[in-house]
Amino acid sequence: MEDDTPLPRLTPKSMEQVAAMRKSEIDWHVIEACRQGDRAAFQLFFEAYKDRVYSIALHFTCDESAALDVSQQVFLKLFTAIKSFRQDSQITTWLYRIVANACMDERRRSRRFVPLDREGEAPGMSSKGSQEDNLMRRQLADSVRAAIADLSPKLRLPVLLKYIEGLSYEEIAESLGVSMGTVASRLNRGHKALARKLAHLRDELGSGGF
Amino acid sequence: MFTKHVSKELSAYCQGELGSDDSRRVAEHILGCRRCRKDLEEIKLGIQFAERITHAPAPASLWREIESLLDQQSIPQRRLSRRRSWVSWRNAGLAAAAVIVTVIVVVSWYAIHSQDAPWEVVRLAGNPTINSDRIGDEGSLGVGEWLNTDASSRAQVKVANIGEVEVEPNSRLRLVKTQINEHRVELARGSMQARIWAPPKLFFVNTPSAVAVDHGCAYTLDVDDAGATMLHVTMGWVALVLGGRESMVPTGGRCDTRPEIGPGTPYFDDASEALKKALAKLDFEAGAEEALSIVLAQSRPLDTLTLWHLLPRLTRPQRERVYDRMVLLIAPPAGVTREGVINLDETMLDIWREQLKPVWQRDDPAIWKKLLGSVGN
Repeated sequence: MEDDTPLPRLTPKSMEQVAAMRKSEIDWHVIEACRQGDRAAFQLFFEAYKDRVYSIALHFTCDESAALDVSQQVFLKLFTAIKSFRQDSQITTWLYRIVANACMDERRRSRRFVPLDREGEAPGMSSKGSQEDNLMRRQLADSVRAAIADLSPKLRLPVLLKYIEGLSYEEIAESLGVSMGTVASRLNRGHKALARKLAHLRDELGSGGF
Repeated sequence: MFTKHVSKELSAYCQGELGSDDSRRVAEHILGCRRCRKDLEEIKLGIQFAERITHAPAPASLWREIESLLDQQSIPQRRLSRRRSWVSWRNAGLAAAAVIVTVIVVVSWYAIHSQDAPWEVVRLAGNPTINSDRIGDEGSLGVGEWLNTDASSRAQVKVANIGEVEVEPNSRLRLVKTQINEHRVELARGSMQARIWAPPKLFFVNTPSAVAVDHGCAYTLDVDDAGATMLHVTMGWVALVLGGRESMVPTGGRCDTRPEIGPGTPYFDDASEALKKALAKLDFEAGAEEALSIVLAQSRPLDTLTLWHLLPRLTRPQRERVYDRMVLLIAPPAGVTREGVINLDETMLDIWREQLKPVWQRDDPAIWKKLLGSVGN
């Protein structure tokens, strides 16, 4: 279905600002515009972060509708509360704190997480290319996804923030409101758990050597 | 001697989250602690799996639903009246496409180039040059650039944040690549000393006759004008690889390479001179039978490092001689048979190597006593 909503046209100045965005950074002009209630700035922010927020939510909940709910709540909360956002902290830290809280809230509220269908492919995660070419990769990805779903929420969140968003330990600590040592400990336990659950797939990683 | 285990720091170590001092401390502990080395392998495997997490694109409907909810909440709509300089709705599709392309270009450029930062170079003596320019007291070595030292020059190169290399006189070193998962230089001639405190397989040195692969260590590489290389490991392990041949060299070990042949067989510093001379002949010259006899006769339990590496490089009758000598020095573990080893059964060779590694690393005298006791000589 086509979206009839017209997209914003950026002025040359704001195009330069967008060009200056790197990875997860939205510059202060965009944030300030969001604070002023600028819907186009909201959409710009949304476009920059939507896939990462949705990916974390989907991996955390293992459920497409729950992931959509979480993503909606995250952006709604952010957009409605952004006036109170203090520019002296990172917007990403705040965003991922909202993501983490929304994931945990969703888990507490609905308890509707269902075991991942390990035979099938989770929605929205299809890989490109021919099935034959990607079969091994898909099987490995499915197994990894299932192993992550088996992690406790405390271990799952830092793993997702690390590997989907690429946050540093410090950024994860700020987002989750815990110490860096706690992040290091949880990631350590998460890595060990994944290694043990998936050890039988070691050869499919293509590693070897001494 | 009591040392605190580093298991809880291994993820941070692997992911570059430790400072230089802590990283070095962990690396040094790992070298001497089998338990933490085992944990490190497990953590690395977990990281490899975690890196396979796939991204999921958000459904196209998500924005419409959010916008609808925003409308219900009466978010102020001032974009056209007060923020005209920010946005206009005209030519919207074209602008959106331009935004997407711009973001993709910027992000891609950043991903490709952000990790190619030049390395710091400090002059230690004389007048080192980068390409043909003198560096003064300090300089920077970019990807593709050559650092040259003459007979009276020396320089120190900082290897990103994972270690340092000292480049000795009459050397020529090029930075090939520096990215988060691979740092690579080429030593065309001369000598360098490397001290690396990163996880294994992050730092590589190309030489004319092999590639040195760091496994967390300190070592010296010398390359002569003919392209022959000599590796001397002073801490940890280094692999020399070329064309499917691999030599793993532990602390106190050496290995020579030759162009078009690749890595020779590793040996220990304190092996007998007769063994070293015969091994060079065995690796790079004719006269194999006589040389092999000398190597076997001169071998100590520690020299099973040399004998184990020789196994796949010799003929079957020669392998039989090597095996028979090895079992006199250190008995093979359960499950490793003569026939299997002679037939180069990879699993058996791996099992035997794992048994021998603590000996080669000189980890613990008790291990020596146990292994040697099992032979009864």
